Amino acid sequence: MKPSLREDFLEAILNHTRRYSSPPGAEDLSNGLAIDIGNVQAHLRELALRGDVVVDVKGAITLTDQGIATGNQILKKHETLQCFLSEILGMDTSAASVEACKIEHAVSDETIDRLGNYIRTPFPQSPDIQGVKTTKFCPGRGQGNGSCGYAQSLGDFKEGQRLIVKDILGRGCSKRLLDLGVVPGEIVVIKRKLGNRSIVVQVKDCDVALSPEIASAICVEPAP
Amino acid sequence: MKIALIGNPGAGKSLIFNQLTGLGVEVNKYPGSAISLECGNVCYKKEKIELIDLPGIYSLDGDSEEEVLVRRFLEKNGADSLIAVIDATKLERNLYLLAQVAEYSLPMIIVVNMIDDAERQGLLIDTARLGTIFGCDVLPAAAVQGKNIDRILPLALEASQSPVLHIPYDHHIEAALRSLEKTMGTPRQKNLLALQGSGDELALRDAAASIASEIEQRHRMSVGQIIATNRHNFARGVATEILKQGPKRKKFDLDSILTRAFPGIPILCLILFSLLLSVFVIGSWMEALIVGGFTTYILIPFSGLGLHPLAERIGYSILVAVEAGLGIAFPFVFTFYLGLSFLEDTGYMTRAAFLADRAMHRLGLHGEAIIPMVIGFGCAVPAIMSLRILKTRREQTIAAFLITLVPCSARTVVIAGIVAAFVGIIWAFSIYFIVFILIIITAIVMSRLTPGEQFGMIVEMPSLRKPRVKLVLQKSWLRIKEFLFIAMPLLIATSIFLGLFQYFGVIDTFQALVAPITVSLLGLPVYASTALLFGIFRKELAFETLAVLSGTADLGSVMTSVQLYTFAIVSILFIPCISTVAVLYRQLGLKVAVLTSVYSLGLGMLIGVLINILMK
Repeated sequence: MKPSLREDFLEAILNHTRRYSSPPGAEDLSNGLAIDIGNVQAHLRELALRGDVVVDVKGAITLTDQGIATGNQILKKHETLQCFLSEILGMDTSAASVEACKIEHAVSDETIDRLGNYIRTPFPQSPDIQGVKTTKFCPGRGQGNGSCGYAQSLGDFKEGQRLIVKDILGRGCSKRLLDLGVVPGEIVVIKRKLGNRSIVVQVKDCDVALSPEIASAICVEPAP
Repeated sequence: MKIALIGNPGAGKSLIFNQLTGLGVEVNKYPGSAISLECGNVCYKKEKIELIDLPGIYSLDGDSEEEVLVRRFLEKNGADSLIAVIDATKLERNLYLLAQVAEYSLPMIIVVNMIDDAERQGLLIDTARLGTIFGCDVLPAAAVQGKNIDRILPLALEASQSPVLHIPYDHHIEAALRSLEKTMGTPRQKNLLALQGSGDELALRDAAASIASEIEQRHRMSVGQIIATNRHNFARGVATEILKQGPKRKKFDLDSILTRAFPGIPILCLILFSLLLSVFVIGSWMEALIVGGFTTYILIPFSGLGLHPLAERIGYSILVAVEAGLGIAFPFVFTFYLGLSFLEDTGYMTRAAFLADRAMHRLGLHGEAIIPMVIGFGCAVPAIMSLRILKTRREQTIAAFLITLVPCSARTVVIAGIVAAFVGIIWAFSIYFIVFILIIITAIVMSRLTPGEQFGMIVEMPSLRKPRVKLVLQKSWLRIKEFLFIAMPLLIATSIFLGLFQYFGVIDTFQALVAPITVSLLGLPVYASTALLFGIFRKELAFETLAVLSGTADLGSVMTSVQLYTFAIVSILFIPCISTVAVLYRQLGLKVAVLTSVYSLGLGMLIGVLINILMK
């Protein structure tokens, strides 16, 4: 069994367990990884021998501590890479995910650590330009499940919609935005949206006009 | 006794300040800042009270110039007591700043302004409860009606209570504050700022930065975000406690027309066009009056005095400079300021910024840049001064280049006086057209070349309201004073310089020296170079000097249409006037001042040569 295949298995098991909060069966893995069911069972036996997984009588697959450690490591690599590809390099989210699946097996831990740091602060020693502070990228990105490329931005919604702010990325992370009340958890209403996605939002009974690039950095969800 | 007014932009501070001080407002520069503070003196019970109107801000933690200024002011205990003005209709957002102000624990009172508007919207505010929460006196007021304004000062003078407010921050932040307090021995207030990366003490900032990065790792949020969220939650808590929403009455919202692409953009164009047109019409009429009066009653009697030629030359130069200053300042710049202040006070300019955002993005700027650009049509000096509303150096630089090309009122005089009068009105418009094309090309090139990051617009759109005549007049007056303060000394100095040049015959040497350029490249008469030189001093002087040097006011009889056209376009493009260069130097530094001058000189020459070649 190739190391990359082992990693794929552990990652898939971990992902499934997290998402459905129940351990997967061989069937689930076969679907998720697009591998023939017979092969999946052969690989699972091998993994059980190496001490990565335990398969109980009902066929539920749980990870051992060793399996969890390896799985987490690879999952973190995947998320960091996907975030880097989609958020920083601007690749399409699903393409970034596919690409990340390939790179994650070869990349070293150090590269991932450094990449993670870079995503959080892309310009570590950004010099102040004549007293004008360059905005720091928010550490909000790269959380994996959800906030990295999955959430919709303010610009994706229509006039009149009530939305809840989830996260503020990159350059939207301006102090002014926070001071005007655009903070995670706040309800905003789109009052006006122009053709170029310039937006007026109502927040705390005040209208705030935003440029398209600012609006697209504000991740929102429809408010209940 | 010093009392300062503090509050959000648009909370009605200026109106209250105005009602309290009446006339006699002074504008002082705060040490180490480009922002001016309005101060006024009031006599109350035989005591002199100095009132200070701090600039409107949203927060005390930010790094905009206004916010830094107010923060410093509070840190240095700049006032004996504070009057915090909050807008009752936007209670929650105003409470956010109020909470921050209260954290400074200075004696203060709270004025809940626009209480009448709030009542009309069905909002009932428990001011007594607000007072208990913040631990200071609260006064409901309505500045527009003058309600309760007379009670502000007595209350503020008695304000001895400092609010004791403890905003519940996230426990990690609280822990960080405590540990900084212990290790560095600095007060909570400073530590809060240090955690967000501001403050003067390096050691504290370093210590705070390492803690902050730990918190950020754990929360996946910047410390600024956490603190802001905590404060907003606190403000929300207070607001729900003191606010009762009665039945709401639906009011017609003018923004449903103004902020839509249609008919919003045509309305925007119409408003700007009529502003410029009325400034031009009123300005030309007033200028003729002022210049005529000045010449008849001062210049002619002066030349009748029979002084020594040198003294007469200098005296004459000074007088001409004063005439020039008044002739441009009051008719054009002041009229323009009136219109602009009116528009600003209605709150329309933020709508304009929103609508213009798209077009401005194409120029490498964003919506807010429309304000300096529009001001540029009146005069480049205040336009460049207003550039600080743009957040990054990159935007300021691009906008500065564009503003130096925008046809200001003085250039309009040149276009009207030379081209419209002697060549034709269509040709006059063609100059505007050429200039706009050049502005767009410049913007596209500049946005490629200028280093730095582009930053979008985040701007509050205040509710539309009726401007107050007195406030508009006052604002315009303060602005024109600032303009005269910068432009007048320069006008006089340059005028004397040029006068002496003329007296000692240096002008002739200069003419001879640049004759090859003037005559063969631009196809203009030899004396045109002097007129152009005078144009650096004040644009429409190019036109007047040309008339003097050619010996006739009927320029059409001595120069061909092509020559007049070339002259006009070169003189309006090349080198921004001396006051503009000075203010560019002051606001953006030597490099930008030199670059814009060189650029516009080159551009003016290039276009002049092109026209000369193409049209001859």
